[in-house]
Amino acid sequence: MRRYETIVLIDPDIPEEQREPIFDRVREIIPTDGGFLIQFDDWGVQKMAYEIQNKPRAYYVRLEYCGVGAAVDEIERGFRIDDRVMRYLTVMQDDNPDVEAIQQMMSETEAAAAEQAASEEVTGEEAAGEEETQAETAETSPGTEETTEAAEEE
Amino acid sequence: MAYRPKRRKRRIFHRRKVCRFCADSSMIIDYKDPKTLRYFVTERGKIIPRRISGCCAKHQRSLTTAVKRARAVALMPYVGSVEA
Repeated sequence: MRRYETIVLIDPDIPEEQREPIFDRVREIIPTDGGFLIQFDDWGVQKMAYEIQNKPRAYYVRLEYCGVGAAVDEIERGFRIDDRVMRYLTVMQDDNPDVEAIQQMMSETEAAAAEQAASEEVTGEEAAGEEETQAETAETSPGTEETTEAAEEE
Repeated sequence: MAYRPKRRKRRIFHRRKVCRFCADSSMIIDYKDPKTLRYFVTERGKIIPRRISGCCAKHQRSLTTAVKRARAVALMPYVGSVEA
């Protein structure tokens, strides 16, 4: 089991629903032999440093996953065949990763993301609601500044 | 025997260059971060040699691979500069 990172450059001119099948295929392949996807990082359409296939832009996606070499071969084979994929690069990040630690980290980040989303919802409702909450946030914000200053001094 | 002048002492001061990645451990070499890598390539996109960049061997090596990877995924140019 190794930790890999793959960057895929996809044709920016194709619609989103044609893009998804590429990733669905990857998601299917990764779980072979106990592999799992760590992060699906969507960079969106970005300008490239040079033109590829006469296109100045590409849709960048970064995939981080644990898996075996055979899975990587299969993913790359798919990319080579697929015309929508302009370029790809796989880099091994960790030869022998601590799978449990990664999974724990994943669950923690998920929980944090869920919490943040929930708190954003709450603050959005409060801002729409009353003025009192605004005063409260004003009161709390200097306090947080003080704490950060104290941390810097230390 | 012919008169042999004493070898003139070279009075050039070399500023001791310190590897930037060793000095600042928060700087990480990553091929996905072309902003940092840009300091280590010329305007034409060539990798700056170690004797000029001052990097230590270890970091220069990882820098070189990082730049080459960045080029492969079009984050950095093989030749020429990216117009900002």
